[in-house]
Amino acid sequence: MATRETRLARTFVEVVDTLVADFDVVDLHTLVADRCVEIFAVDAAGLMVVAADGSLRVMAASSDATRTLELFELQSREGPCLDCFHSGQPIFNQDLANAVGDRWPHFARAALEQGFSTAHAVPMRLRDQVIGALNLFQTTGTLAQDDIESAQALADVATIAILHHRASIQAQMLNDQLDQALTSRIAIEQAKGMLAGTTGLTMEQSFNQLRSYARRHNRRLADVARDVVDGTLINADVELPPAT
Amino acid sequence: MLMSEAGLRGSFCSTDAVSSVIEELQYGLGEGPSIDAFTQDRGVIEPNLAEPSVHRWPAFSGPAVEAGVRAVFAFPIRIGALRLGALSLHRDRPGPLTTDQHTDSLVTAEVTAEAILALQADAEAGQIARALEVDGDFHYVVHQASGMIAAQLAVGVEEALVRLRAYAFSHGRTITDVAQAVVGQSIRFDRSTGAGESHPRD
Repeated sequence: MATRETRLARTFVEVVDTLVADFDVVDLHTLVADRCVEIFAVDAAGLMVVAADGSLRVMAASSDATRTLELFELQSREGPCLDCFHSGQPIFNQDLANAVGDRWPHFARAALEQGFSTAHAVPMRLRDQVIGALNLFQTTGTLAQDDIESAQALADVATIAILHHRASIQAQMLNDQLDQALTSRIAIEQAKGMLAGTTGLTMEQSFNQLRSYARRHNRRLADVARDVVDGTLINADVELPPAT
Repeated sequence: MLMSEAGLRGSFCSTDAVSSVIEELQYGLGEGPSIDAFTQDRGVIEPNLAEPSVHRWPAFSGPAVEAGVRAVFAFPIRIGALRLGALSLHRDRPGPLTTDQHTDSLVTAEVTAEAILALQADAEAGQIARALEVDGDFHYVVHQASGMIAAQLAVGVEEALVRLRAYAFSHGRTITDVAQAVVGQSIRFDRSTGAGESHPRD
């Protein structure tokens, strides 16, 4: 049986590995939730991450019951994950029986009904940016300082992996846009040349012909250009004056 | 130089006449340090282009040396696994890069990648960012000439571009130079012979 330290070290390697291998962000969320239950003295874990529209979403939970509880937290708009996300500060060893009174009247009752007695939450944070929170639940006892620090470290590393993944998706998208724009532009220049080569028009006149054809037929210039280049549209079609 | 899996896209920026020649040669010939750096995804170091230990670029090296290049270095412009092109550096005397210069080159290539994407982030949908367009040279005249040759020879544009390259290479001219002549109608390709012919204007 591997020691707690060995398992923790392995988990860190797993999380960092997602930076290089074919990364699946859903796998990462699930991995973090599952490993928390395996390594720390907690009985359930759930992970919420902020979506593009700014709202929190439940991304992973160590069990279906925990997922339901996390969804209830979002629905009732109170609970450790939300407090932690908004403050950016961790919550440790919150006695749920005490929280029924004022802190989380609805959430704490639902969590107690699930058999949990203590709740914790650590922010998913890099510097000023908080992207979510990790919820941990216990049925008995409290969490030692050691586990608290390790849980925060795990959340920190997972946050970096998620942000890195987002940046790479953004870069890929911009590069695809640039590539498509250049490809379209090249097709337009080629079509201008083909038209000029057939008709003796200048490049500028050819461009005007292509553009007015595209307008008359309510089509994108780049699409018309591609049709000219691959022969779908013959030069004579493009040259035709507008029908009266 | 901007590149994609589909091929060479054009030059984004060159600092002087010699670096323009390096870019133009590589674009016309399809070989050279930037192209190796991009396709092999690693830094390419040639500290002595005039007398290299290994002759890597038979067509590129001669004209590059003639233009004054003695050492040439190229680094991929990339973000993670995403490859955008290559940065080429040259010097008018042989010799390797110092460790600091090598490090600076890698950093510059990285910053360039970030800058290209940051500029493109401001572009209108379907357009090339204006800042890239203004400073760049995407060889539009070559594509116009390919279209004209395609019409003259009744072949596809890819084939036409090959003919254009072949004509430039066999006449010892740059591809841009020949493309301008084709667009200006002083070179025409004949459908019966398939060859390019000079048509000096009367």
